[in-house]
Amino acid sequence: MMDFVNFHLIPGVVLGSIYALGAIGVTLTFGILRFANFAHGETMTLGAYLTLTLVLLTGWHALLFLPVALALTALLVLAMDRMFFRPLRHAPSIILVIASFGLMLMVRSLVQVIWGTELQGFSKGITLPWVLFDSLRVFPKHVVILTAAIALMVAVHVLLRHTRTGKAMRAMSDSPELARLTGIDTERVVRATWIVGAGLAAAAGIFLAYDSHVETLMGFKMLLPVFASALLGGLGRPYGAMAGGLVIGVVEELSTYAWIGSEPLLPPGYKAGVAFAIMVAILIWRPSGLFRGRVF
Amino acid sequence: MKYGKLLGAAAALLAAGSTVALAADVKVGSAAGITGPIEGLVPPILAGRDLAAAHVNEQGGILGGGTYVLVPGDSQCNPKAAVDAGTKLVNVEQVVAVIGPSCSGATNGMVQSVNIPAGVVTLSDSATAPMISFLEDNDLVFRAAPSDGYQSSALAQHVWDQGLRKIAVTYANDDYNAGLGEAFVAAFEHIGGTIAGKQAHEPDRQSYRSELATLAGGGAEALAVFAYYGGSGITILRNSLENALFDQFLGADGMMDNSVIEQLGADTLRGKITLSQPAPQAEGDSGPGESYTAFAEAFKAAGHDPEAPYVAHGYDVAFLMALAIEKAGAADRSKISAALREVANAPGMVIRPGEWAKAREAIAAGEDVNYEGASGDIEFDENGDVAGATYSFNGVGDDGTWTPMQ
Repeated sequence: MMDFVNFHLIPGVVLGSIYALGAIGVTLTFGILRFANFAHGETMTLGAYLTLTLVLLTGWHALLFLPVALALTALLVLAMDRMFFRPLRHAPSIILVIASFGLMLMVRSLVQVIWGTELQGFSKGITLPWVLFDSLRVFPKHVVILTAAIALMVAVHVLLRHTRTGKAMRAMSDSPELARLTGIDTERVVRATWIVGAGLAAAAGIFLAYDSHVETLMGFKMLLPVFASALLGGLGRPYGAMAGGLVIGVVEELSTYAWIGSEPLLPPGYKAGVAFAIMVAILIWRPSGLFRGRVF
Repeated sequence: MKYGKLLGAAAALLAAGSTVALAADVKVGSAAGITGPIEGLVPPILAGRDLAAAHVNEQGGILGGGTYVLVPGDSQCNPKAAVDAGTKLVNVEQVVAVIGPSCSGATNGMVQSVNIPAGVVTLSDSATAPMISFLEDNDLVFRAAPSDGYQSSALAQHVWDQGLRKIAVTYANDDYNAGLGEAFVAAFEHIGGTIAGKQAHEPDRQSYRSELATLAGGGAEALAVFAYYGGSGITILRNSLENALFDQFLGADGMMDNSVIEQLGADTLRGKITLSQPAPQAEGDSGPGESYTAFAEAFKAAGHDPEAPYVAHGYDVAFLMALAIEKAGAADRSKISAALREVANAPGMVIRPGEWAKAREAIAAGEDVNYEGASGDIEFDENGDVAGATYSFNGVGDDGTWTPMQ
């Protein structure tokens, strides 16, 4: 029983909150810029590598650099928007998708050239968990990740509900034409979208790296579960993305628990397929997501 | 495939035509996992190959004074990338033969899709999966590294002698690690040991906690990890130690990189891990042989560590390939396979690492030569394999590097 909590439930919730952060960015980009951003995974990778660089330069704890890394990543993503997506702002969305795909490959290669493909970590050695009640093993890093992820999600909630920018973002996601007619500065909203999406993606990358390690394909491998999370929650819906992320993360981890007998229900090697299966099922039976009909 | 064959035929014609020109450069493909999960292990191996090429070129060159050129190709330890690298080497660079690639999966992909259809000989220095022996290869695939059938038996016997009776096994789902893992399971059960759980895992995942929790449920005394250190090896060790699932590990040469110790800490790992690797040793068991010493001195003089994994093999494949081309008398793809066997196998005048000038004269005089390599005697059997080596078993030494243990 404790194995279930220690090795499936807790890692599932942690992974789920990381997916949720990534999925918010995907869903916002889709809602406001109207395309699926393939370069989103690379944004996560960038956040992790920028943090790694700061850690290697100073020797301080990785999470101290969270705000700096988020800001730097957001700046880089704004620059990428300026160079690649702005000239294509009114192009059909398929062109934007392909452009984001190209950008993904370029960013990944740049990361590989600059930082190398060797697996690296924020800290050397291993960290041991707190053992509660003789059997519950809680890692300090998991507590930190969960707390920070929840704080970031609350911040997104406040931004969307209670600020002018947030309201403008929601308006534009509802109807870009109407938003423009009411005098909303759409370019400003686009910038805000990139900043929020990139910041959260960077946080997701940093948390994932903090939990395990940094490598150049980490963001790309997160892309599928993150897309699946966004779809599950209904594209364009940040709250749906949060819930979707959590569900995908938990289901991925729980799928390998020995529910029947002593063998894992699903061989762990197929864990990556779970998100994909959920995504296909959602697209067939519930293309508007779990929370059909409720936008924001 | 058809396309490859046509190109191969065209290439053979071209190669045959080019032999008229004397003292031309001779290009051999040098494929290796320059990037990818073992990129830390590859540079010393390439240094070994380069040293052999330098010896050839310093001592009169190849085929009457030509330069022996190793054309690099990055096989990334990945079958798909290896096919791309092989296509470039074989069809674009028009190499006479290929040495490498590093990994078994990459080797398998490259030879099946490119080299065998094109009739190009492949001589790997570190592909060790048992399956390589049984490829339908028209006698075109050779390797200087012994099959892992030997390594896994040696490792199984070693840990049995150390007192381990119940072991859980996890291996990365690729040709090298799966071959090694399955062979280890067979060998350990054959001695009488118990396998308390066996699992293939996908490399490159962020965590293996749930996999390891399942394996630990079997009550094993130790975990055998067959993985590339950069693919999943380090992550598995970290997850196991952090979650107190296992605290004894064993593995093979794919894990032998210092980054394992750097990432996890020497004190964390000391006394908990045993890794096997082929020990360079040529004649008998009475210490390193004459060939190895000759290589080791030259390699050390060039500023490298001769004890790094597979560097001696790297030297041997580059040197052997040069000998085979010299023996064939032409940069002709179709003659390399037979020539390779002639120069490597007894009988003949013994040639040791660095003795290119002597070999060249002997071949010119029509004498038979027999290369005794730095990594071993190198006698190819009908599968293009060499005999089993002796293996060393390494742990974390006092200086924080991998050190052979008794």
